[in-house]
Amino acid sequence: MAAIEVKYQEPEIDFTLIDRIIRDDYGGNKENLIMMMQAIQKQYRYLPYSALKYLSDYMGIPFTKIYEIATFYASFSIEPKGKHILSVCTGTACHLKGSGEMIKYIKEKTGLEPGKTTPDMKLTLECVNCVGACGLAPVVIINEKYNPEAELSLVSEFIEQVKAE
Amino acid sequence: MKTLKIILNGKETTAKPDQTILEVATENGVFIPTLCHSNALEPAAMCRLCMVELTEGKRSKFVTSCNYPLRQDAEVKTDTEAIRRGRKMIIELLMARCPDSDELKRLAGEYGANLSRFEPLNDDCVVCGLCARVCEKVGGKTLTLSGRGVHIKVDTAFGEASPYCIGCGACVQICPVNAIEIEDIEDERVITIHGKEAARIKLNHCETCNQYYGPVIDLTKVMERLGEKTIPPPNLNLCPACARQKLGKRIADRYYDVY
Repeated sequence: MAAIEVKYQEPEIDFTLIDRIIRDDYGGNKENLIMMMQAIQKQYRYLPYSALKYLSDYMGIPFTKIYEIATFYASFSIEPKGKHILSVCTGTACHLKGSGEMIKYIKEKTGLEPGKTTPDMKLTLECVNCVGACGLAPVVIINEKYNPEAELSLVSEFIEQVKAE
Repeated sequence: MKTLKIILNGKETTAKPDQTILEVATENGVFIPTLCHSNALEPAAMCRLCMVELTEGKRSKFVTSCNYPLRQDAEVKTDTEAIRRGRKMIIELLMARCPDSDELKRLAGEYGANLSRFEPLNDDCVVCGLCARVCEKVGGKTLTLSGRGVHIKVDTAFGEASPYCIGCGACVQICPVNAIEIEDIEDERVITIHGKEAARIKLNHCETCNQYYGPVIDLTKVMERLGEKTIPPPNLNLCPACARQKLGKRIADRYYDVY
């Protein structure tokens, strides 16, 4: 597990795919910009620099405007994310039910700070403010699957599973 | 068109529908302090200094005067005790961000702000957004406000030196706290924000006086914005002073030719 300079590494961008997203799926309309960005993010798990640049040139929207949108919305990320995403709710109810302990536990086990990714690009830890399921606290979201009343064993099992891959 | 009856600080005046409170106040010679307002740009209500007390119907409320369109008869007070308190608080918070601004120092003196109340942040920027807005309208659409909430800051795309900057300097000129620096270093113009280089543009070289002047820019985009397709062939290799001299000489030559 060598330390990789994550910031400058970019996956191979398939520009025909981005073309297809812009032209075929959303008709090249400026109003659908956010949907296009969501589709690109779904493909690469983040918004790659050159993909945004291409989007900006194709649509005739200033690059800075797209950057502004990408940084404004919490659901967009301009930093690469891992293959698996582990989100822990840190809302008031979940916090009282021990989500803080859970984050501490994950940090001990994997060395991850909230919002960071492991160097081998396998796991990303995220903290979300509230997922609107306070009655089921604490909530842990593993790869978009919601786990109500999550326990430490569930998280540790998942981390072991990711490490074993 | 319908005119609205506005009572501004106890004096009766009129306003057109959809006029903002700030416009009406300026027309009537009432001063409202602002940091993020420019007549040339859309109001953004970022600095919150222009807060006034508005009574429409029965209830009174605080609104930002720069972007509040008047739609009905109303009473506006621009300098009550509550507003002064609010402005004082805003100035104290802004002063913690940039304590060196002359404009803020003047306002702090006027409103009696307590400068030791908040821990200084020394950010040098009040995040009024004027530079980003003027860049979008005048310049090369280089600057933007990135992030949100407490993370918001003036930035170029991905924080790197932008290739789109045309070096017009509108952002430098419009900044109320002088947080952006512009400097001509030999054959390049450098714009610096937060001590970080935001753009670097090559300068034109005058062939007569051997000095550097105005930035090299792609005129096609400028002409596009003006709605013209062809680019005029100006004497690009002369600085304004030399061009004036040359023109003067030409006029003088013609004058002597005729007589």
